Amino acid sequence: MDKKLLFGRIKRSKFFIVGGIGVFFIIILAFTSPLFVSFDGTTSSLMERFTPPEGFSKGLAGHILGTDQLGRDILTRILLGARISLSIAIICVALSAFIGTVLGLIAGYFGGAVDKIIMRTCDVFLSIPSLILAIAIMAVLGTSIINLITVMVISRWVQYARLMRNQVMVIRNKEFVLASKAFGASHWHIMFKQIFVNITTPLIILLSQQIGQMILMESSLSFLNMGIQPPLPSWGSMIANGRSYIASYPWVVVAPGIALMLTVLSFNFLGDGLRDILDPKQK
Amino acid sequence: MGKYILRRLGATIVVLFFATLITFILIRLAPGNPALMMLADSATPEEIAAMEAYLGLDKPVIVQYLIYIAGIFKGDFGTSIMYQRPCIDIILSRLPATALLTFAGCTVGLLVAIPLGVLAGVKQGSMVDLSAMTFALLGQSMATVWLAVLLVLIFSVHLGWLPALGYGTFKHLILPAITIGFPLASQTTRLARSGMVDVLKEDYITSTYAKGISRRQVYTKYAFKNAMLPVITIVGLQIAGYLGGAVVTEQVFSWPGLGALMVSAIGNRDYPLVQSTLLVVAVMVSLVNLIVDIINCLVDRRMTLN
Repeated sequence: MDKKLLFGRIKRSKFFIVGGIGVFFIIILAFTSPLFVSFDGTTSSLMERFTPPEGFSKGLAGHILGTDQLGRDILTRILLGARISLSIAIICVALSAFIGTVLGLIAGYFGGAVDKIIMRTCDVFLSIPSLILAIAIMAVLGTSIINLITVMVISRWVQYARLMRNQVMVIRNKEFVLASKAFGASHWHIMFKQIFVNITTPLIILLSQQIGQMILMESSLSFLNMGIQPPLPSWGSMIANGRSYIASYPWVVVAPGIALMLTVLSFNFLGDGLRDILDPKQK
Repeated sequence: MGKYILRRLGATIVVLFFATLITFILIRLAPGNPALMMLADSATPEEIAAMEAYLGLDKPVIVQYLIYIAGIFKGDFGTSIMYQRPCIDIILSRLPATALLTFAGCTVGLLVAIPLGVLAGVKQGSMVDLSAMTFALLGQSMATVWLAVLLVLIFSVHLGWLPALGYGTFKHLILPAITIGFPLASQTTRLARSGMVDVLKEDYITSTYAKGISRRQVYTKYAFKNAMLPVITIVGLQIAGYLGGAVVTEQVFSWPGLGALMVSAIGNRDYPLVQSTLLVVAVMVSLVNLIVDIINCLVDRRMTLN
């Protein structure tokens, strides 16, 4: 795409700019937090239970967002949780996109029986709501980070497969693809070097929109005690564990709740902005 | 049209067949011997063997699967370890709560979303449009957990207007319904808006203007119905999902539905109950999808061409 055109669209897309700045700061904060936090997010200190938020009255040495039911600094836990949640979300999005894209390309390119089998498999996965499927598999596999990633990938690859398959269907009979075939190019070459490179735009848009969804799913699973296990913090489990104390100590859940909302909102803004920029017709 | 419905029905049956395969394999992968779980710790080897025979565990896997399928056709989904009752009875007893919550949540969601989305689509680029889109993005960014806890914090803890959890009265229904309705509303607002925007560009709308029909009539009589087509599909999918149990919402509000049942069954390692809940959910989702497709096909005959 023309660089000038692209740049003009970026400048006009408020969603993209707001989301982009938000995501940038969240990632920087999350991944550089070990450099500046003064507490350990996983060891409890019962003397300091439920310290109310101190703001910046004590500078960076105070409990800026207060402490939780075990006396752990909430800000430190939110930042640590951000690092874990973001890493998991990105890994899951990458893996599910990879699996979904390959299967979608194969289904769309070969068509026929292969297409039918892959698409019916997608239907089966779609017939069970993803969270229900995820907790059922989690129950059988047991809780661990690897299993968490596995279930999130299993329940989300379908979206990519369906999107890619439909995109391939649209362009697989275009002249340049037929020409490659006539030159005797291999299936592999046509699928990845000819077709795939021409359908990356919808994939990028879906990818960016899915990161927020993955964070939400991880928070739900962690809330149900089937995600990230203590003592490692996750925003979902912080809300789950703080829930019993909201009447007296609301900050224990409000802080992770707002962090979760702002993060997902930033990613969603970015995803929507990206869609407006790359594919204005879709708006 | 009849042919299309038959073909969709066939596809649904295939999907359900594979769903049984998935639930069966999943449960075979579960750790531990199911026979041991049904018995007391003091069970003798003879008792264990008898229970294994009773459960059919001594037969080859493929036979076990066929017995499982045959049981499903007879309405026998297995026996819950925890309740010592047929799973299907327990599931059916939880279904009304989930259905009520789904219905209430969707009512809340659609009542907000459709007028808002249509208005935003008609007044594209206006302040209404921008606020509707911001509302939609906000709704999609709210984790169910956070939304539920926030509502409890405001309306139960702070204002004291509504109960924080429980089931039974209309007041108990309000917060869970909003928790389900808000994300649904945000998604539907976007769909209704883009549906409206697309339809208003069509030639037949231009020609209705040319005939001198008022804007209001064009919007309500000509554009609305076609703009709602994508909405029906997605709302159908969402309803199907909620019928499968809004796991987190039910958990937060102690709502005695399918989702909460699933979580407690998992907590108790009651695998037969997990398995049958999963299968019942898959059946419901597939049926709702089928119904949505049939409705779509009745509204828009072009669908049958694909």
